[in-house]
Amino acid sequence: MLKNYFKTAWRTLVKNKFYTVINISGLAVGLTIGILILLWVQDEFSYDAFHSKTKNIYKLENMVGTGSSRQLWTQTASAIGVLAKKNIPDVTDEVRISYNGYYGLYKYGNKLFAEPNTFYTDPSLFSVFDFKIIKGNATNPFPEYNSIVITEKTAKKYFGNDDPIGKVISADDKINLKVSGVIKDFPKNSSIQGDMFFSMDLLQKNMYTGNNDGRNLSNDFIQYSYTTFLLMKPGASLSSLPDKLRKLHLGVKSDDTDIGYVMMPLKKMHLYRSDGSDGGLAAVRMFIIIAVLILVIACINYVNLSTARSMLRAKEVSLRKIVGAARLQLFMQFIIETALLFVFAALISLTLVYFLMPYFNEFSGKELVVNLVDYRIWEVIFIAIFGTLIISSIYPAILLSSFEPLKAMKGKIAAKISDALFRKILVVVQFTFSVILITGTIIIGKQLSYVRAMQLGYDKDHVLSFNMINMNKHYDAVKADLIKQPGISNITSADVDIVNYGGETGDNSWDGKQPGETLMLSPIGVDKDFIPFFKMKITEGSPFTGAVSDSAHFILNETAVKAARLANPVGHKFKMHGIDGTIIGVAKDFHFTSMREKIQPAIFYYRPAGYYKIYLKTTGADAPRAIAAAETEWKKYNAGFDFNYSFLDDEYNNLYKSETRTGLLYNVFAAIAIFISCLGLFGLASYTAQVRTREIGVRKVLGASVAGIIQLLAVDFIKLILISIVIAVPVSWYVMNKWLEDFAYKINIGWSVFVLAGFLAILIAVITISFQSVKAAIANPVKSLRTE
Amino acid sequence: MIELKKISKWITINGRPNFILKDINLSVKEGEFISIMGPSGSGKSTLLNLIGMLDDPSEGEYFFMGNAVHSLKERQRSHLYKQYIGFVFQAYHLIDELTVYENIETPLIYQNIKSSERQAMVADILDRFQIVGKKDLFPTQLSGGQQQLVGIARALIAKPKLLLADEPTGNLNSRQGEEIMELFQQLNNDGVAIIQVTHSEKNAGYGSRIINLLDGRIESVN
Repeated sequence: MLKNYFKTAWRTLVKNKFYTVINISGLAVGLTIGILILLWVQDEFSYDAFHSKTKNIYKLENMVGTGSSRQLWTQTASAIGVLAKKNIPDVTDEVRISYNGYYGLYKYGNKLFAEPNTFYTDPSLFSVFDFKIIKGNATNPFPEYNSIVITEKTAKKYFGNDDPIGKVISADDKINLKVSGVIKDFPKNSSIQGDMFFSMDLLQKNMYTGNNDGRNLSNDFIQYSYTTFLLMKPGASLSSLPDKLRKLHLGVKSDDTDIGYVMMPLKKMHLYRSDGSDGGLAAVRMFIIIAVLILVIACINYVNLSTARSMLRAKEVSLRKIVGAARLQLFMQFIIETALLFVFAALISLTLVYFLMPYFNEFSGKELVVNLVDYRIWEVIFIAIFGTLIISSIYPAILLSSFEPLKAMKGKIAAKISDALFRKILVVVQFTFSVILITGTIIIGKQLSYVRAMQLGYDKDHVLSFNMINMNKHYDAVKADLIKQPGISNITSADVDIVNYGGETGDNSWDGKQPGETLMLSPIGVDKDFIPFFKMKITEGSPFTGAVSDSAHFILNETAVKAARLANPVGHKFKMHGIDGTIIGVAKDFHFTSMREKIQPAIFYYRPAGYYKIYLKTTGADAPRAIAAAETEWKKYNAGFDFNYSFLDDEYNNLYKSETRTGLLYNVFAAIAIFISCLGLFGLASYTAQVRTREIGVRKVLGASVAGIIQLLAVDFIKLILISIVIAVPVSWYVMNKWLEDFAYKINIGWSVFVLAGFLAILIAVITISFQSVKAAIANPVKSLRTE
Repeated sequence: MIELKKISKWITINGRPNFILKDINLSVKEGEFISIMGPSGSGKSTLLNLIGMLDDPSEGEYFFMGNAVHSLKERQRSHLYKQYIGFVFQAYHLIDELTVYENIETPLIYQNIKSSERQAMVADILDRFQIVGKKDLFPTQLSGGQQQLVGIARALIAKPKLLLADEPTGNLNSRQGEEIMELFQQLNNDGVAIIQVTHSEKNAGYGSRIINLLDGRIESVN
């Protein structure tokens, strides 16, 4: 019986090549995109799920302040983990990870590397998480304060195939680090990454030498630079924990009354944010929706074409019933026919997925691999294929198997109104999705170009910048050298990256500050040339002059002045980081973070030495010369390091990388959705023309013009597209407003966007339909009448 | 075998019943050969379809092999039908996508008969109808007479007790028609009951009884 089903199905597919090709290509394209997106989504959800204790691990975060000044700090102080483990029985263990900023350059023999991803951590990192030590002593990973644990990749880099254990790497010629353990490289879907791990004892030594008011890692609540994880007892209640943690905190530092603790489950830390704002989840959600939309559009094509053409199969169905087919048997036949079609579509789409994967990775910033041995790939493939198969097979199968044989044989089955209505609804759904995607594409494009064209409040053109590393101690000499070079017209330096700076401090006070009030300021340490260099405007007072007194001078931006409620800021006393100073000027607001965020309060302070970044002004034509000169200078001081520079323009564009990428992906997906919808429309239009061949013939004989015939055929479809537009406009308006909400500075969605999107949709549809309509209209009526 | 009691069939047009069949009483014994005649629109085909359970009467009782068809459920009816009845059409109505062999085999498939058994049965009937050489051809590659032969073979493959034929020779030339009628005669001699609808006096003469229909009523039986 099955064999027979397949045979019939195969012959039907071969006999109707045109529709088979339309169906298979629509499904294959839809499945390809669906599978690619779902693989991406699956990868996003797989983050940090691979540890055996994932369920019981929580990341600690601080929620500070209340109301509008509430802030989320994703890193905690060092002491809280230790205190929690000691005092709360439900906490089995704690892990702290803190970025290493003390050493930059690492040497073994004649090999020299800069290692940007190094961290201090507790030994529990290797027991709480599944980052097992594969070489070395697992029970005591850091036997000495200068012990280090490195990844396999790092070990290979330094020691080749030699046994790394016991080898000594010297860091900045200041300390000898002894390799005591090797761990496997971190999986790509781990939020915790790193190449080299130092002991907390070393951090203790580095941080708390000399006079430190008795502070140490177990009681420090000043420095919030530790990613802290707690391992909880299985089944432990979490609800009272934040309170307990707060009490422990206040027990040590009683004036932090606005501190609060939140527990972020390990598995959620990649996609969620504790303050409820959208983390990566927003993108994941959007892509799931797009994947589903595209798959549904592909299904609709199949359903529409097969139900429309069911009339042509009415005779076959009736005959089968008359020779004794039960309804279930017919139902199965049609399901198998669909399934066979799906097999071809699936094979094509798997091939496409395989070949498109590298491009998709480039697009999406992932490193997905099509590994057919990995069961997770099959999970996605099965969900996509069977989901769509079920959706698109059941209705046509029910419809076809339901024909009453006598009526069907006499051709009286003539499209039941409800069927036609159903198909119309499906076409409307398809085009509604398409119009939404077109609108989205236009709006994303507009917003991105708006952001790019916005006035930043400073001049970032042709500015070359790099981290000075060892040059900072010789900044004056460097500056004197470089300014003489042709192609470099101006030089300045600062301790921040001006394009995207997120640092904040609450350590400040002024006359008029209320008790308990916290004002978070972004401190920007600059030399005297910084403000003129970037053509920033000083609206009141004066810029730094380089005089000795500048070390007690501050310049606030307008937002900071407003936040501190200073009526006459210039001359006002201000204290920051223990420096009692005076405000000498107010700078016009400028953007130092992404346009997603509102301009934050910022404060310039004068920093005569020890800068981190140098900025060189050049011109478009002179840029190569400036780079060459900078590199020569670099080699004098930083011989061991690669020269990595960037232009602020590029850095600025990088800020919107994820948006640009989203925009690009969106374009591609919208194009594909429209393509698939048009395939379906094309098929339906062909079918309509085919069924109405006789009518068209008669009309032409009676004197109808070609234009009249085209209108006759196209007008029904155009009506449907218009309905789609009417439905799509409010939906896309709502959705895109949501998307724009993320930006502090955004465009207004005007009517023109919808007019344009609607016009495009109609245009595309008309072009699609006219292919068939024109063909039918110009056909010789004698021919079409004869075939009847 | 068949017992029709006061069978009527009507359709409602503008609120008034329009009779296609009215008060038909008919009984057919096993092994009979009956011809139904009458002008166009007299209800011949409708009567045949009612007997063949492809259509339902509006009123009246229908007993088939002792079963009250009018009160049977769809499933039971289809079971009965599959077991006892074969249908032959004027327009042959073969499935274009299937070969001769497969067309004949189809009813067996729907009766869940095993593949080896099917092969034997189909081979047997192909042989009997002398169309073995045509078994891999598609219907469109055959002449009308050959197609009708296949249609009859298909109707007979499941060894029905009753063969219903709606103008089986209507699309054939007289020589082909004669062959088909002789085949019917032979089948009838083997014990298959046959009810045929026909316009041809000559073909009707093959039957043991001729029922003349006029305006939905049985006008005469001879």
